[in-house]
Amino acid sequence: MPSQPPLPPLLAPYVSTLPDASLTLVSSILGATSNWLVLRFLHAALSSQSASTFGADDLQNGIKKKVVLVSFMRSYEFWKTEAKRLGLDLTRLAEKHQFAFIDGMSELFYAQSPAPTSSPGMGSSPRTTLPMRGPPGAVPGRAPQPTAPVGTMGNPAAKQEPGIAKKLHFSGRGLASLDAMEKDIALVIEQQKTQMEEGDELVLIIDQPDLLLATTGPSMGIGATEMSEWITGLQQLAHATIVTLATDTPLIHNASGLGGQLATPIETEHAAFAIGLAHRARSVMQLRTLETGAAKDVSGVLRISRGGGLGTGEDNLEEREALYFIQRDGGVTVFGRGES
Amino acid sequence: MAPVNLSHRRTHNLLLISKLLSLRDTASPLTLVLDSLEQPATPLLKEYIRRAKLSKVHVTLIAFETLKQPEGVDAFVTTRRKSPADITKEVSAVYQHVANSNPSRRRLILIDSINPLLNSKRDDPGFHLPSFLSSFLAPTSPTAKVDTSLVVTYHQDVPEPPQQSPYASSPLSVLTYLATSIITLHSFSHILAQKAARDRSLAPPVFGLEEEQEGVLLGRLDKLSGTGAAEGIVIELEHRRKSGRGVLEWYLLPPASRYSPQHLKEIVTLLDDNILYNPPMERDPGAENEEPTSTFELGLTDKQRRDREGVVLPYFDAQSGDGPGEGGRILYDMGEEDDFDEEEDEI
Repeated sequence: MPSQPPLPPLLAPYVSTLPDASLTLVSSILGATSNWLVLRFLHAALSSQSASTFGADDLQNGIKKKVVLVSFMRSYEFWKTEAKRLGLDLTRLAEKHQFAFIDGMSELFYAQSPAPTSSPGMGSSPRTTLPMRGPPGAVPGRAPQPTAPVGTMGNPAAKQEPGIAKKLHFSGRGLASLDAMEKDIALVIEQQKTQMEEGDELVLIIDQPDLLLATTGPSMGIGATEMSEWITGLQQLAHATIVTLATDTPLIHNASGLGGQLATPIETEHAAFAIGLAHRARSVMQLRTLETGAAKDVSGVLRISRGGGLGTGEDNLEEREALYFIQRDGGVTVFGRGES
Repeated sequence: MAPVNLSHRRTHNLLLISKLLSLRDTASPLTLVLDSLEQPATPLLKEYIRRAKLSKVHVTLIAFETLKQPEGVDAFVTTRRKSPADITKEVSAVYQHVANSNPSRRRLILIDSINPLLNSKRDDPGFHLPSFLSSFLAPTSPTAKVDTSLVVTYHQDVPEPPQQSPYASSPLSVLTYLATSIITLHSFSHILAQKAARDRSLAPPVFGLEEEQEGVLLGRLDKLSGTGAAEGIVIELEHRRKSGRGVLEWYLLPPASRYSPQHLKEIVTLLDDNILYNPPMERDPGAENEEPTSTFELGLTDKQRRDREGVVLPYFDAQSGDGPGEGGRILYDMGEEDDFDEEEDEI
């Protein structure tokens, strides 16, 4: 099979040029996940430094980019393996301070000594949410847990595993817990920024923060407003921000009240969060499956639309819809309807 | 619609929208802008800011979702981690020095999205939406007379959490009750597509979230089929006059690229005046060739017409009264070209 360019040409302008203070929302559904697109964002930002042999660095204009990836749904092991298929060595990039991974998954709800007052509902959350998309192997980050010093809050240098800059912990409730996590992420970003030269850009990718909303919810004092304020706070630290969210039908449409039944809090809050972010975003990249059913040579549909963000309407982002196909080797082709 | 009516609307309602958007005479202290993902309020807010700059109105943006201060905004108030009372205080603080130097200036306060405030989980028993909004409009000091206009954007498609009290009215109904003008925004290309469907008595199409298609948040695409030149946003305005009389009108705001930022003349037009929405009727389509086309020549030459007029039909002859039995005879003058058939008379 002829090897695909890691970055499909049709996609390149959308993932490599991100204006300052812009928010890109990537929405996915169960049948059309977003991790391949996140990897393309990673590649667009990091490839020119790590793998200039690809010759794809003409889009970079000499601007060095750094990436901080906050992942709530997938482990570092997953991202490392997948990025390797694109020719990115995340561990090496992390050592060169071009990439930082923040693990929001493996220890998010681990009770730790600084937070003895965990509400009773929290204990059950990890068991119900974590195994859903866990990697096939052993969950990394759990093994060293007994020996890991829990007070990593003020000491970001204390890393147990190479590549993982920080593990997020959720403690307390409401705004205070979000603030604590924001502080953790900000620490990592600041650390990255110390290595930055003038004109460098830091791209922040937050993968599926809706997990946080789903596992806490209004009963813990966290709703759509609090979550999007949290995103705003992180956005202020970075050059450009990319957020991925799930937009499956029950999470979006049940709350609109058309069905006639009363929406549950998670449906209402998730819909408000996702739609609110789309209103703020510069561009919304929507992934979905083919309406006509599964196909052998099409994995799904990617629709790129302009969001409603104020102050970002000047640039002419071209809206388009394309099909994509993820091959067995992880390569992705993106093509228009009727093309191949 | 009667043309008199349209020209009346053209003069009066265009004047009204011009007054509203340019904030003249404080025609509307509280304008509620209802937008959706299909047509965000951004272009309209930019138009507000543009006009405010032209007439030197002080612009404050209360940013619930905007990160950076947009061009043309004089004061930018972020709302992150701030209580409504803090926001009110800050908004009046940023205007203080302007008010001192130039007390007669007008002021525009924009709220880019009121939804986060309404959906907030913050326990704030003191929060009362009408008093929050009116605190911006009320004069800060009795001496300074400031004409303030407040423009509040509300995203219609963001669901609201259930009310604390089941008897309280929803924030949206409170807002629509308070507002002096309500602007609902539509995408022009969608309006055209829906009109085209209605003209054919089809169900109008829906877009974006209303499609209820899994994975689709936005249905808007630049090249929506068949609406190539349909740029701009459609403004559905409901304005409540002081007298209590309401005015309903649909307008079209062209995209900002069509005119220069210093353009002074009114750019908004009535939707009914738009050539795409209301194409001019073709005058008597096909009046010239009413005849059905066929291989036969169905027309008459002049001679044929004269001959036809010369024919005296039998009943005219019967009326001439030549006596009983005489009338009603079949008169037949044989023409030159007729071929006399002898046997015919015998039948």
